[in-house]
Amino acid sequence: MSSYEQDRQTHGTDAQEKKIDLSLLKYFWQAGPLNFSKQDSIPRFLRKIKVLKNFSDSELFILSKYLNERNFRRGEVIFQQGDVGIGFYLIFSGQVEISVDDNKFDFDETLAKGRYSLNLERYDFFGELALLQENAIRNATATAKDDCILFGIFRPDLDDLILQYPVVAARLLQSVSMIIANRLFFLTQEVRFLKTKLENRELNK
Amino acid sequence: MSAIVKNKEIFRFAYFATILGLCLIGLALLPRISIPLTLSYVCYLMASPLIPFFTKIFRNRNFAIIFLLIVFTVVALIPLFYLLPSLRSEIERVQYYLPRLEGFIQSKFFEIKLFVQNNFGIAIEDIYLQDIIAKVKSFSAKILWNLPTFLANTLEWAFLVPLFLFFLMKDATSFTRILLKITPNSIFERFYHILHELNTKIGDYIFAKFIEASIVGGIITIGLLVLGVKFWVLLGILAGITNIVPYIGPILGAIPALIIVYFENGFGSSFGGVLVLYLIANVIDIAIVFPVMISKIVDLHPIVVVISVIVGSQFFGFVGMIVSVPIAAAIKLVVLEFYKKIYSPL
Repeated sequence: MSSYEQDRQTHGTDAQEKKIDLSLLKYFWQAGPLNFSKQDSIPRFLRKIKVLKNFSDSELFILSKYLNERNFRRGEVIFQQGDVGIGFYLIFSGQVEISVDDNKFDFDETLAKGRYSLNLERYDFFGELALLQENAIRNATATAKDDCILFGIFRPDLDDLILQYPVVAARLLQSVSMIIANRLFFLTQEVRFLKTKLENRELNK
Repeated sequence: MSAIVKNKEIFRFAYFATILGLCLIGLALLPRISIPLTLSYVCYLMASPLIPFFTKIFRNRNFAIIFLLIVFTVVALIPLFYLLPSLRSEIERVQYYLPRLEGFIQSKFFEIKLFVQNNFGIAIEDIYLQDIIAKVKSFSAKILWNLPTFLANTLEWAFLVPLFLFFLMKDATSFTRILLKITPNSIFERFYHILHELNTKIGDYIFAKFIEASIVGGIITIGLLVLGVKFWVLLGILAGITNIVPYIGPILGAIPALIIVYFENGFGSSFGGVLVLYLIANVIDIAIVFPVMISKIVDLHPIVVVISVIVGSQFFGFVGMIVSVPIAAAIKLVVLEFYKKIYSPL
């Protein structure tokens, strides 16, 4: 081990021993098996969401304090296609239907238009683009299929989080960018695939 | 959407609107609460960016808040203790000073009137002058009458503002949480967005104006003290307060000082000195403070600013002039939000 590393290790552990991470202690206290209140079931719920796997447990606990609980009755619209959106939702319970109505886009009259829909369940999330976009416009309509409980995190919350807990905010942004990067990757592949298909078609003509 | 869901939503909406309306009406009707609340809100805006920093130092949010509270109280009380006695004696002296000033202004006005009549053949009516003098008289009489209550109010504020400030710093986020919890689903995102925008933009504006007024007021108070002008504290505070009104304010603030200096010494070096002092203060304001702090916060067209100031003064007098710009900015925000909803491309 180099002297630099040794030095860093000794000093690093010294500094860490002096700090008492209160939020971590609080988390352990509240995550105890004898504690059944609803407040602490949120971090456990968050733990099971795949895109939040880069969060540590105490970071999830902090994040859980910034979530807004929203209750929706069966059939209630969560947001409408074309609305201005400011944040994204995690599904805690119930089912949500996401539907896209092509008739609302008016880019090309000649193309065939349809209505697509997709069901989301517990541990799923939707609307994440609005967290990053300025004046984001919703691409689809979200409707509650059952009575649902959703946890929303919105741009104002993110602003607060950046000021108060920059690390947690960075983790959240990392997660959201991961979702978007994955989607962009698949989208690029799709576009490439469609492009070659189109070219082949034109060649065959 | 089923009928039950719709009914429930209407119910929620009514409940939410009632609570919000009651709070706003209550604040408008009870200035004894709303004024210290506004003051503590301004302090909160100044303190809130510092909270995370001190939380890291003290490892505890409550300690950081208490520390900031003590710092703010001390910083606010020192000038109050120093300036209050001289302010009081100045206000008492003003009542003996004003009648003399009035006679002087009337004689001057008579001279100007004669001059205009001889040279242009137009008679200026006395009504304007009488009107202005009567207004100034009643205004200063009101201040003198209300001086004891004002001082009592200051004491009340000295107690209430730190209290409100403490709980604002401690619980502002939980207050917003409660408000958001009762917000109906159909308008939730839009409401949260507007609330946040209002809080940051209007808050920044109030904060910037407060700093701007303190800088200009400070420069003028010190300048008048150096130049040896009578009523320096009163005139400095007046300049600071009038400076909040855009465009017209700085001129309004300068006129009383110039009249007093002219009455005392005529057109002389001290008149020029005071004129230059007000010019310097406003140049600093326009060239340095305004572009850095305010211009980008509320991007209202100058015409809109002037119109809103006139409308504000029409309905609520001087207070209306001061609060008109943030209210206009708030209305613009809300209107823009509805515009986005109605004219959105999808």
